[in-house]
Amino acid sequence: MAKLHDIAVTVNGELETLSVPAGMTLLELLRDRLYLTGTKEGCGAGECGACTVILGDRPVNACLILAAETDGKEVRTVEGEASAASLSVLQQSFIDAGAIQCGFCTPGMIMSARALLARNPNPSDEEIKEAVAGNLCRCTGYEAIINAVRMAAKREAVTRQ
Amino acid sequence: MSDGKHKYVGQPVAREDALPKVTGRAMYVHDMHLAGMIHAATLKSPHAAARIKRIDTETARNLPGVRAVLVGEDLPYRLGLYVQDKLILARGQVRYQGEPVAAVAADTLETARAACELIRVEYEPVSPVLDPRNAIKPDAPLVHEDLHTYSYMKGVFAPKPHTNIAHHQKIRKGNVDDALAESDLVVNEHFYNPPAPHVPMETHAVIAQALPGDRMEVHTSAQSPYTVRDLLSHSLGLPQSNIRVHVPYIGGGFGGKAGIHLEPLACCLSRASGGRPVKIVATREEEFGTLPSRQGLHTEITLGVTKDGKIKAFKATYVWDAGAYADYGVNIGRAAAYAGAGPYCVPNCFIDSFVVYTNKVFGTAYRGFGHLEVLWGVERAIELAARRLGIDPYEFRMNNLLREGDKTITGETITAGHGRPDLCLQAVAEAIDWGTPSAPAEKGKARGKGIAVLHKAPAMPSYTSCSAIIKLNGDGSADILISGVDMGQGTYTTLRQIAADELRIEIDKVHITWECDTAFSPYDWQTVASRFAFMGGNATIAAAQDCLRQVRETAAIALRAAPEQIACENGEAYVESDPNRRLPYDRLALGYTFGNGNSIGGPIVGHGRYIAQGLTNLDPETGQGLPAQFWTYGAHGVEVEVDTETGEIEIVNIATALDAGKVLNPKLAREQVIGGVVQGIGSALFEGLIFNRDGHLQNGSFTDHKIPTAKDIPIHTRQIFVETPQPNGPYGARGMAEHPMISVPSAIANALVDAIGVDFHTLPLTAERVYTAIHTERTD
Amino acid sequence: MIGVFDYVRVGSVKEGCDLLAEHEGRARVFAGGTDLLVNIRNNGVSPDLLVDIKGIEPLGKLTVDAPDATIGACVPLNVIGENAAIAERCTALAQAALSVGSYQVRNRATLAGNVANASPAADTAPALLVLDAHVAVQGKAGGRDIPISELFLGVKKNSLAADEMITSIMLPSHAKHMRSAFIKKQRVRGHDLAVINMAGSLDQESGALRVAIGSCAVTPILLSIDSPIDCSAPIDELVARIDKIAQDAIRPIDDLRGSAAYRRGLIPVFLRRLLTMLVEREGGE
Repeated sequence: MAKLHDIAVTVNGELETLSVPAGMTLLELLRDRLYLTGTKEGCGAGECGACTVILGDRPVNACLILAAETDGKEVRTVEGEASAASLSVLQQSFIDAGAIQCGFCTPGMIMSARALLARNPNPSDEEIKEAVAGNLCRCTGYEAIINAVRMAAKREAVTRQ
Repeated sequence: MSDGKHKYVGQPVAREDALPKVTGRAMYVHDMHLAGMIHAATLKSPHAAARIKRIDTETARNLPGVRAVLVGEDLPYRLGLYVQDKLILARGQVRYQGEPVAAVAADTLETARAACELIRVEYEPVSPVLDPRNAIKPDAPLVHEDLHTYSYMKGVFAPKPHTNIAHHQKIRKGNVDDALAESDLVVNEHFYNPPAPHVPMETHAVIAQALPGDRMEVHTSAQSPYTVRDLLSHSLGLPQSNIRVHVPYIGGGFGGKAGIHLEPLACCLSRASGGRPVKIVATREEEFGTLPSRQGLHTEITLGVTKDGKIKAFKATYVWDAGAYADYGVNIGRAAAYAGAGPYCVPNCFIDSFVVYTNKVFGTAYRGFGHLEVLWGVERAIELAARRLGIDPYEFRMNNLLREGDKTITGETITAGHGRPDLCLQAVAEAIDWGTPSAPAEKGKARGKGIAVLHKAPAMPSYTSCSAIIKLNGDGSADILISGVDMGQGTYTTLRQIAADELRIEIDKVHITWECDTAFSPYDWQTVASRFAFMGGNATIAAAQDCLRQVRETAAIALRAAPEQIACENGEAYVESDPNRRLPYDRLALGYTFGNGNSIGGPIVGHGRYIAQGLTNLDPETGQGLPAQFWTYGAHGVEVEVDTETGEIEIVNIATALDAGKVLNPKLAREQVIGGVVQGIGSALFEGLIFNRDGHLQNGSFTDHKIPTAKDIPIHTRQIFVETPQPNGPYGARGMAEHPMISVPSAIANALVDAIGVDFHTLPLTAERVYTAIHTERTD
Repeated sequence: MIGVFDYVRVGSVKEGCDLLAEHEGRARVFAGGTDLLVNIRNNGVSPDLLVDIKGIEPLGKLTVDAPDATIGACVPLNVIGENAAIAERCTALAQAALSVGSYQVRNRATLAGNVANASPAADTAPALLVLDAHVAVQGKAGGRDIPISELFLGVKKNSLAADEMITSIMLPSHAKHMRSAFIKKQRVRGHDLAVINMAGSLDQESGALRVAIGSCAVTPILLSIDSPIDCSAPIDELVARIDKIAQDAIRPIDDLRGSAAYRRGLIPVFLRRLLTMLVEREGGE
């Protein structure tokens, strides 16, 4: 029986203590242990971005992070984007811009966009594209997603004033 | 923009499903856990063609945690939508690299995979047949030696025994040989589309559970719950009512999930595991190499035209690369044949469309159902003919597009309600300023403009139908039950709009039960072919009207009037001549109770249905008949910029016009077009499966098979809707789901002719191919 | 599970090297993991143990003070690419770093990992070659310092012993008159492996030019350009001269991303673009 590693990882602000095998990925931890199925598996190999979460302050592919290495770390997933009271401005912008079709890429897109707006509150369209280029979408053709992020940036700027 | 007549139809109403999706709460089969669920993995053939001499599963069975091991010999069931040529697991021989040969269900996915590694298979490889142009020859090795023993849908398809031909569709109209002889110019060209993968972001996934009493319960990421039920019933020999199929949210389909794929295997594994729910989730590599893709196509077109640009004759041979199994491929071969001359008036037509088996991953339905592939050749041939005659390609097309009174190549007469390809072409030409050369490009770049037209009718059986149920709730709201699937295309939103307008209630009061469940949701054929909004819309209208009939019936008694004197508005029923006598729906929805307690009426449940009207099978010799419920026409206008030093193409501008009839929801329609256009750009510039000489897939992963990313999109896009009403469509709408993708590659290649004077015949238009063409040949 | 292995997070390089030595080639250094974990998933490698070095603080440091720029083995590529000093003084490296994979991948992938993976297509390799980088390597027995060119032995083969790990990569201080640039041809504009990649550095005072090409041989290739170039010479002449050297030095193959012929055809095109960037920038100071 493989050795288990004890970890204490904060997910969406909640401290979770678990014992995990070395080979378990953060994606599996989130989906299979914590039942946070918002983060999706699209390829398991870091190519599609469907599993994008924010580790610390950086968007990463959860399929290529080991659960064991998240001890002491903070992870944010799509489930942590909305508050108890309402959707975030970013989420509402995705809805308003028509940036959601099948929805499978949406959580990853939200997290990439969230991380972008955190480091660059006023991104150009080129910067938005660069931030989400690692998130593959087959349905929307990306235009509405870029519009959504631009819209969210404007709206968040307004609320900051 | 407000539509005077309707409150919701025609409006950019937002999706209800956006909320669960944007919060990560929408459950896909990938996300589902059932109590007692176990996991399955498959062992796949490393060979494109081989006999299976022996399979040893002993060690695998004994691995702790393994609950069931199955091989082909265990599963005497035949599968196949149209031709029953497939088994659940390969038996006796394998026909493509990646074909499942054995399957294991175990407590964990790791155990299942480890057990698969322990299964020993002894193969005797044989030489695979890979090119359908070879496979079609009389002396070719047979992919299906027993083709003559398979059952198939008679009257529609005809597999040719002792050949690799799964189907041959013919269109014969007029006299093509004479017409060619009389033509001033004959263009004879070859074209090729490679097989290409759908790439839904959610791979195929299914959870199946065998229940007592020979019942099956299936949760599947699929487009057609009733087809899954029907085909499971057929292949496993169970009554339909023993099988229950659920479809929750699905992460894209694009035709790849239209039929039945992993479900039979999951069902059999569950039976073999004593009834545990068995989950199978395709890896991305399995999605590329085991699950079916778009058929490849070799095209030869011979086009005869007069010197003033009139089409006299169109002859084509389409040789479809069906891969190892016929699946939807035979129907694609059929449909593409009857659409196979493009939206043009063609007086003499001779088409042979062959669907040919090869030892590669098989083809299935893919957005466009053969029309992107066929119109690649057609729109390129048209372009070549126009240019060789020295006629503006726009004028040439306008001079030949189908108009009212013309007959199609299957003998269908075009009416005023068919739609206007000419207006679509005109719109895109204006949008890209056709006629004005592109602005000069900087050094090392070249710009050009191109146009292409498209058409497609739903490729569906003549008996295709849909039904809908609307339940009124005690609070005056309404629930729609329907089993077409909303996989992101937004049809459920349009059905809510339709129901809200028909029922005369606020749209916030109209809900659609998201999960399809064959136990509750009434029959719908399949969510394919761009017919769900059309048929679902009609069924929903009928169901809503049935609800209102019941509302009026109860209200009439309650309000002491005749039913025909009752009108409905704003969620209330009232006496038209005395509006003070009124009742809100919530007083009627579950029956009406008088003051003294007497009750009348009852729960209001409306039902509606729609069946394809007037379709006929095609004559097997001439292809004449009426296969099309409606035609949707369209066009693209593209401006490209080519880096002539590297061959890279940038799409500067792409304008798309579709005659979708009444646009039910302009926001959803625009989104659908943009998504389809980008998927079309993928087919145009990047996509295609690559096989080596042994029939082994070389690029079955995201590393090796690229699709467009956010950085690969056009600089500008424009979506234009021509709204010629479809007489039998809901509010005059016709389907438009597949169309945005069709002819995108054609338009881009036509733009390349303008930009760099090179004619491309093969997709994809990779930078390397463009570079090579620029540097080794010039065609002016 | 992405694989079956043990995992340990070490606190020092010594601890890490001891473990590598103990496992005699069956342990692997784990930093970003974007190559390693994918290889494990695809059954390319099956190590018994992953040695996580991200807890070794010095390895996470990027310093650009004179004389050398030192990039610790655990510094993610985004950090390198977005560093203003690197972007200004080691431009080719910043550009190369930002071309690897997607934004998400670059938050994990490291420079050391990119070169240790030793793919012929490694994007950072041509940049490091033209910037004269050298690599600090530690093993159980001790440390050594090697020029970057000595790291690459062949396709996915590096010159590290089983007990060795890269601790940092150093770039010699470059004066203001040193210019460098990087260029990469991909199939899509989003993330992709290189069809070809190329880096160049030019000492605009001395005319010393270095050009390195990747994805055209079993390792990235630093071209032998002996004599200094004349920055005022017509660019066509320069391109022709360097192209000849390049065509002789490379051994491209046909693969999924491109044919050998296409790669050879792109060389002069990219040389011109690269040299134009390197030469013309002198005026913009």
